[in-house]
Amino acid sequence: MRMASRIGVVIAVGLIASAAHADHHGMAMMGAADEPTEFDASVNLVAASYNTLTEAGDYEGILPSVGWRHDRYGVGASMGLYRIMLNGLDERGIGDLMVHADATVYSHEHTTAGVMMMVSVPTGEEIYGLGMGHPMVMPSLYGTWSAGRVTVNASAGFSRAIAQMEAGHDHGVWPLVEPMNMSEISWGAGCDVALGSGVHGTVRAGGGIPVGLIGHERVIGAARVGWGSGRVDTAVEVQTGLVGDPFTIRGLVETALHF
Amino acid sequence: MYRILILFALVACSGASPTPTGTTCADPDPITGTTTLTWDNFGHDFMFKYCTNCHSSTLPNSKRNGAPIYHDFDTLLGVLEVPDHIDEQTGWGPKAENNFMPGGGTNNRCPSVAGGSLDEDCPEPTGEERTNLAQWIACERLRSHDGSGSGSAN
Repeated sequence: MRMASRIGVVIAVGLIASAAHADHHGMAMMGAADEPTEFDASVNLVAASYNTLTEAGDYEGILPSVGWRHDRYGVGASMGLYRIMLNGLDERGIGDLMVHADATVYSHEHTTAGVMMMVSVPTGEEIYGLGMGHPMVMPSLYGTWSAGRVTVNASAGFSRAIAQMEAGHDHGVWPLVEPMNMSEISWGAGCDVALGSGVHGTVRAGGGIPVGLIGHERVIGAARVGWGSGRVDTAVEVQTGLVGDPFTIRGLVETALHF
Repeated sequence: MYRILILFALVACSGASPTPTGTTCADPDPITGTTTLTWDNFGHDFMFKYCTNCHSSTLPNSKRNGAPIYHDFDTLLGVLEVPDHIDEQTGWGPKAENNFMPGGGTNNRCPSVAGGSLDEDCPEPTGEERTNLAQWIACERLRSHDGSGSGSAN
């Protein structure tokens, strides 16, 4: 298939973004390219229940994404489509558009390290908990270390809303579908084990520490099983909120196609 | 890159956002119970006319039509939990005229009964009522209260 046709297929299936959210970050990092140039298209299905300071309910979403990687550089974008039940109000809508670019700055036999810049555009409705209401800038660093069947990864970054923030004006973490503070240090760490026959098992944790103004610390834990065959990778992940109230429990199913 | 920056600036600046009205209470508060706005002569009726079909402590989460938890205006103490939110979303004052509530987020539809479905257009406070709301909030938050949840203290 010609490259242009491949791009057309990606656009046709509506996969416009990569998995580029704060708490999905760990998943995105696991999908390394095997070829110098590669297009990725993926779809995440998500379902969660939440019970925060002022909101309670559940949501479901479909998050298409696309990514392109060449050698050490990669870019991607994603946007979710959600149905959310918010204190008895049933709403549907898109989430914030997420775009990111990353570069591997160090690569050795067992170790890689890189930088990522992620930006969100407030396309989601803030009042329904689908969008942050402000653009967010999220630079981060990441690293991986591999030995045999085991790969350990970690990331840390700073997330900041491009907006004036008022001290004492606390809405908790937001948006509901991808909770974070308006100013925070975000982090993630995980361990992936190759179980054989293309099956991987992963445990990871991630979260955010509010910086500056009032905010809420959060930690999530997640367990994941993924398997790949040919150009298709699929994974199932279960997440739970451990600190703060990002969500009670959240499930993800991801299928990625590599061109 | 220039176009991207312009896009971000437009997105960041677009849309009406909750804005403090800048309303202040006269010092000293000339509370008399008859000529000055209080919970008893203004706040109660305003809240029960425009707000409490969703914002009520008697409603379970599933019947609030999106109203945030702990934003309950069926008592004075409930109002005093989030006076800034009320001012910024419904009040009129020298710095802002906020018309987000009632009806914000529900396409201006409201339940005709507490906890009901969104079966009617929301009743709309007049400009005078919105101005009075901001003035009442500005004064009421400064007054001492007895914790009973109703009525104004002095």
